[in-house]
Amino acid sequence: MNFQPAAPRARPRYRPMRTFVPVSTLLLVLLPLLLLPLAAVFVFAFRGGLAAFWAALTAPDAQFALRFSLLIAMVTAVINAVLGTYTAYILSKYRFPGEQAVGIVVNLPVAIPTVVVGTSLLLLWGPIGLLGRWLDPFGLQPMFSPIGVLLAHLFVTFPYMLGTIKPLLDELETTYEEAAYTIGATRWQTFRYILLPALRGGLFTGALLTFAHSLGEFGATVLVSGNLRLRTQTAPLYIFSQFEAGNLATANAIAAVLAVVSFLIFFFLLRYTNGRKGS
Amino acid sequence: MSIILERLTKWFGRQLVVDRVSLEVSDGELFVLLGSSGSGKSTILRQIAGLSQPDDGRILLHGRDVTHLPPQQRGAGFVFQNYSIFRHMNVADNIEFGLKIRRFPPAARARKRDELLDLVGLAGLGERFAGQLSGGQQQRVALARALAYEPAVLLLDEPFGALDVKIRAQLRRTLKQIQRQLKVTTILVTHDQEEAFELGDRIGVLERGQLLEVGPPEILYARPRTSYVATFLGAGMVLVGRQENGRALFGDLDLPLPDGVLREDGGRVQILFRPEQVVVGEDQPPENAITIGRGEVVDQAFTGASRRLRLRLPPLQRVRQIAPIPPFGEGGLLVDALIPAGLPVTTRSLWVSLTGWHLLQPPAFQLLVYAAADGRFALPPLAGFLAERLQASLTVLGVKRDSAAIEAARRALEEGLAASGARAELRMRQGEPLDQIQAELAGTLYDLLLLPVDAEPAGGSGKNWPGSLVGSILENMNGRWTTPVLITRGQIGSIKRILICTAGGEPGKSDVRVGGRLAWRFGAAVTLLYVAAPADGELSPTARVHLERAARMLRGLDIPCEVAVRSAPSPREGIIHAAAAGDYDLIVLGSHGPQFRSIFGWDDITYQVVSSVTRPVLIVPFDPI
Amino acid sequence: MTRRGLIGRRVSQVTAVMLITGVGLYAIWPWLPFSRAAAPPRTIIFYGFSILEEVMNQGVFPAFQEEWRARTGERVEFVSSFAGSGTITNQIIMGVPADLALLSLELDAYRLSEAGVVREASWRRFPDGGVVNRTPFIILVRPGNPREIDDFAALTRPGIGIVHPDPLTSGGANWAIMAEYGAGMRGDPERPGAGRDLLLGIWKNVVAQASSARSARTQFENGFGDALITYEQEVLRDRERGRLQGEIVYPKRTIFSEHTLVVIDRNIDPVEQELIDAFVQFLWSEPAQRLFVSYGFRSVDEKLNAENSFFGWIQDPFTISDFGGWPRAKKEIIDGVWKNQILQELNR
Repeated sequence: MNFQPAAPRARPRYRPMRTFVPVSTLLLVLLPLLLLPLAAVFVFAFRGGLAAFWAALTAPDAQFALRFSLLIAMVTAVINAVLGTYTAYILSKYRFPGEQAVGIVVNLPVAIPTVVVGTSLLLLWGPIGLLGRWLDPFGLQPMFSPIGVLLAHLFVTFPYMLGTIKPLLDELETTYEEAAYTIGATRWQTFRYILLPALRGGLFTGALLTFAHSLGEFGATVLVSGNLRLRTQTAPLYIFSQFEAGNLATANAIAAVLAVVSFLIFFFLLRYTNGRKGS
Repeated sequence: MSIILERLTKWFGRQLVVDRVSLEVSDGELFVLLGSSGSGKSTILRQIAGLSQPDDGRILLHGRDVTHLPPQQRGAGFVFQNYSIFRHMNVADNIEFGLKIRRFPPAARARKRDELLDLVGLAGLGERFAGQLSGGQQQRVALARALAYEPAVLLLDEPFGALDVKIRAQLRRTLKQIQRQLKVTTILVTHDQEEAFELGDRIGVLERGQLLEVGPPEILYARPRTSYVATFLGAGMVLVGRQENGRALFGDLDLPLPDGVLREDGGRVQILFRPEQVVVGEDQPPENAITIGRGEVVDQAFTGASRRLRLRLPPLQRVRQIAPIPPFGEGGLLVDALIPAGLPVTTRSLWVSLTGWHLLQPPAFQLLVYAAADGRFALPPLAGFLAERLQASLTVLGVKRDSAAIEAARRALEEGLAASGARAELRMRQGEPLDQIQAELAGTLYDLLLLPVDAEPAGGSGKNWPGSLVGSILENMNGRWTTPVLITRGQIGSIKRILICTAGGEPGKSDVRVGGRLAWRFGAAVTLLYVAAPADGELSPTARVHLERAARMLRGLDIPCEVAVRSAPSPREGIIHAAAAGDYDLIVLGSHGPQFRSIFGWDDITYQVVSSVTRPVLIVPFDPI
Repeated sequence: MTRRGLIGRRVSQVTAVMLITGVGLYAIWPWLPFSRAAAPPRTIIFYGFSILEEVMNQGVFPAFQEEWRARTGERVEFVSSFAGSGTITNQIIMGVPADLALLSLELDAYRLSEAGVVREASWRRFPDGGVVNRTPFIILVRPGNPREIDDFAALTRPGIGIVHPDPLTSGGANWAIMAEYGAGMRGDPERPGAGRDLLLGIWKNVVAQASSARSARTQFENGFGDALITYEQEVLRDRERGRLQGEIVYPKRTIFSEHTLVVIDRNIDPVEQELIDAFVQFLWSEPAQRLFVSYGFRSVDEKLNAENSFFGWIQDPFTISDFGGWPRAKKEIIDGVWKNQILQELNR
């Protein structure tokens, strides 16, 4: 049988003598930039001892903020996975006037400061906003509620899903779809059975990225949430208000948890992408 | 008929990629569409599958008009060059995909899948994924996948293009075997003539969107109609010669014109002979063959069973070689011959003879239109008329001195052509107009150069012309310039009356011949004009003989013809007055060679006429024979 | 694919699914129907300026919840948000659904009425003109007072670094400016411009501006500057517990900030009106005022202030009414002097 495994990418062998200088330089640069600040979070989190850490973590406000953040991040990831995939599909498969403009607009959220996003959402959906003022009489209030937080997070994290899916769709040769069409599959069947499985890796990566960014979102959230504890306070907002109140230990306890969650997410992300490259 | 295509047409932007292709493929036939890249063969295949929509025309599969149906409802099996095996499914799932979509029960699916795996020779590999298969195996899977739901027709788009030679040969045999077994009507697209020969029940050769010829491989190889097919299918020599009195002349070679070749005195004929029809002899010409001369061996190559010789022969009079294309600037004929490999070649010089040959259809009239490419462009009405009456293929040549301006000029020309609705090929060249026109004429065999002139005739002596392009072309029309030049001005869009001028001398042979040919094609009437000086009085006997001979030649072609003799102080005045009096649509002048200039001293009649009349003037170059 | 690879893949798939489900369950738990408390509590949405967080969350809210439950048997839930006074004012203008707001300065209440959120001077209907509690402005210096700062005047010495909240977002900062200006003016009543000079001198030494009094304090504790101008209350609680990293310097002359309660009537569900009214009343009741005092605020009821032995003595205290009320002080001093003169001078 003519079985040709994909050639593994050639990686240089580990040579201690040659490696020492460049690697230690890298570590030296990373130390003040990344490693020490991360370490500081944990040091401060546990300075009061484990009991204090546990108490900070189990405070009702903290528990709420953590759960709320995770929930919002999950919902954001799911909704944007669907929306982002749909957008990528349309942008990749259809040609239409204004296509480029749409392509730019949907990527804009990465470039806009999150505070601006928050402000504009307020000016649109807030009780005195352009659309919000028509909703207000009906008792509908998207801002300063979990819906507002969700809207802000959907906005801010929108490009991540799109950014991982669209290149995959663009690279995927159209003959796969065409083959499915000639075989008799409808557009939906083709998407479901041919495109979606091919995008699985991208969906996973994109969803994790979206989740991670949503978990850490601050700038837009602080404006649209009203920062109401036990109502709309996400973990980063809680950390910030605890920090402002001078409760550094409490702030760092939650920060440490967030850091661990982010670390886990990116650990899985890296393992997954490396695993795919290997197979 | 399983597949019927009716006048299928497709434009990509302003480019016509499929040009009114009509084709019928019968049940169970394996038809091969052969063409070079960009010939539109894949586009046709994709249109049959429904992956691309034709702009015009109809597609029928088993009598059902599917032109506007989506691919899902056509029931065509399609195999792509890149296999396109779904990577996240194993081989079995790939093959079963079409059955799954059609909701076949699992047992039926499994049965069909095993049957097909057997058929394509992949039994036992159902669990594999695409990444674990070789290219050839993947293409077998693709074939099985396309056959699983028993498609109405099977379409293969360069299926072996990405495979290496050995596997390609294997797969070809498999494909042919399967196709015979299942009797599924198949169209295969390829650029590989060897593949086409081996697989095709019939072959259709495509060039620039046009289906040139269709037929069984043997017929297409032995008796092609066009030079393109002759050279695209296998190696061969194509020479262009001339018809005369129902015979085809190639230098000393005088061959009878076969039936079916359009007889047109003075028209061009093309001859094809294959290397295996060429025999060589060392000391004397081979027997039972027609000898074309003695040639020098310039190259030889060992090909296994045989040895291929390339010989250079001295040029033949008035013969031009189209294939193989002789190196630029070299005269002489290149002839390839196949001889048994064991036969040693000891001498550098050999006799070359032919044991067989084939005459092609005369090539289409090739019309070149020069476009000044300044600002907006409109095709002269006369060009449309010529293209229609002569069934000429039209080429528009745009020349710019400045490379930066070429793109803009090309757009302007494209727009002008699109507006005129004419189908023409556009060529852009950069440099001096005269040089570029000459280069273009040297590269392709054009029958006529159409030179539109914007300026009004200047009148007078015409001496103020030389700076212009017309002037410089006229100055260069001697010796090697062989293409007639038609200078046109204004809006004349048809030709009914032609004036052939023989001012003061005997009518040249070529001007009468070319003018007569056009008159025959246009159904126009011809007047042969002889301008005599008042002092001459009587017509000289020789002039009278020449005129009568010319008139007889024209009448022989059923062209209404009269002879007019006019006395005038100068040939120019005689021609101008005659042209005005008779309301002619075309004035034909012979361009006399430089040797006449010294003798008669009024070589610049051409200038003078061109600069004095508003009618189209055809200048026929001096024919050395 | 090898067998081991397949198994490994399956295992990691299962792990991932379990992990996601676990996190999801954890996140959504409070919202699941069976995990909710039986009767939905009644809710008060309270916005307060930064230094109120502790006293409200730990003192006043639980006390009121207790009282209300004793009275009616109902559970009251407080949803609260604490930030700089200017920030919460802006949020309320943008439409956050606050029922009540305790602002650090009346000026923000005026901004709310200008924006049409509350009726003009509606807070004046409450006791003490809407003022719930007070606290004087003091100087916090490093332990042992190494720079020997004894009054506002000492802050103008070159080389001293001051941490000051930002007057654009912080109510405390506005109070601080009034304290500085007033101290200068009253220290040298004969000389016009004495207030301005002291203000300029202090602001020349400002090295950090924070968005609220709280964050200014956090900055100072993180090692910024030699002195912090802030509410007495802000530092008093820590001194009580002996946790204060610094010393309080009581200026001879300083202002008492007065914190105004605003009720945003339009956000109040008529059903909740009774509850809100009860809570407003409770804020001025003796138990609540006692709580304020024990958390370092000075009560509007002077006799209760004796209960906190940590309160320092101020020789010449003054209030905003000495400047003709906030609207005038804002126009003449915050804008007229600080913004238009001091800032211009500093930017030069």
